[in-house]
Amino acid sequence: MKTIAIHSYKGGTGKTSIAVNLAVIAAIKGKNVCILDYDFRAPSLQVVFRENPKLWLNDFLEGNINLQDALIELNNKYNFKGKLLAGFANPSPQALRGMMTKDRVWEMRALHKTLSAKRSLHQEMGIDILIFDTSPGMIYSSINALASSDLIFIVMKGDEYDLEGTKELINGLYDVLGKKTQIILNKIPLNYFSNEASEKLKASIQEKLGLPVIGLIPCDCNLLATGGKSIMAINQPHHPFVKALSNITDKIQLF
Amino acid sequence: MKEEVKTDSLIIELLKKISKSLEELNEKIDKLTEKAGSIEAKQKKIPVENLPLDAATLLSLPDHLRKTAIAICSLGEATAEEVAEETKRARAVESDYLNQLVALGYLKKRRIGKKVYFSIEEKKE
Repeated sequence: MKTIAIHSYKGGTGKTSIAVNLAVIAAIKGKNVCILDYDFRAPSLQVVFRENPKLWLNDFLEGNINLQDALIELNNKYNFKGKLLAGFANPSPQALRGMMTKDRVWEMRALHKTLSAKRSLHQEMGIDILIFDTSPGMIYSSINALASSDLIFIVMKGDEYDLEGTKELINGLYDVLGKKTQIILNKIPLNYFSNEASEKLKASIQEKLGLPVIGLIPCDCNLLATGGKSIMAINQPHHPFVKALSNITDKIQLF
Repeated sequence: MKEEVKTDSLIIELLKKISKSLEELNEKIDKLTEKAGSIEAKQKKIPVENLPLDAATLLSLPDHLRKTAIAICSLGEATAEEVAEETKRARAVESDYLNQLVALGYLKKRRIGKKVYFSIEEKKE
């Protein structure tokens, strides 16, 4: 099983869209996939998958329910070749507030539960790819997901804010955890794709950060407007966004 | 033929003795590492208290201890042998690192029969 955390320095880089579409593309291709919403500050997977769960990942981390009870099988709805399981973070104000006030002992138990969830998804539930959608920056739930992953995809827009912040995260987080880390450049202006500028941008980011760029995704205003309304990999499978992610999905097993 | 059977049973007997001696040796090493750890903690005046092995702690640990810490976080409670299976390092190495984590106050340790168990939290009986 490959476990991937989708992370970034700043918010709004497109982590959730990338996580959801990677999961759906892999399930369409026949992989058994599980996606977990570890963005407990701003949960959003329930919006894109149109689900209204009764039980949440919050309940699992609290130790109130089993992992299986916190997961919803989405195959009945989409009929993919592979299995797609999803675990959702509770978006209610009470739950958001609750997650803000956890102490370090609770966070230690949450780390243990996350690592043991990975173990049972692999050994008992036959999952091939586990994807964590995370909160941006250095916060507990995201570090728990990163520490449980084999591979980290940093999603960045390529501007200076992202670049400088990502440098800090590489030194203080990704390198420390010793995980394989790759960069996905998202929301890149279209004019970069009309000539060699996109390759130059890729080379420059690789040189500045010392990490490989595995995907370059063009910015599409229509895509921004439909965010959360539909899943591109299902509704627009030939869109450049989906094609770029499909290429990345094919490489996952190689990492 | 009889001679061969006799030699085989002698070898088996000898192997059993060696295996028993190795187990005893392991136990002695565990006890020594434990003593060394607590002496080191006293010398460095490290307070041995219940500290949570959370994500922030993981980031602050030296690399060699972090791998052990992640393995024990995943297992919850385990012997040095079980941690060694996770990390693919030698049992004696993991035993040393686990005892260092105990001395630093991050892990609890209990003995059940001949086995020593390390855990992230005190077990509720």
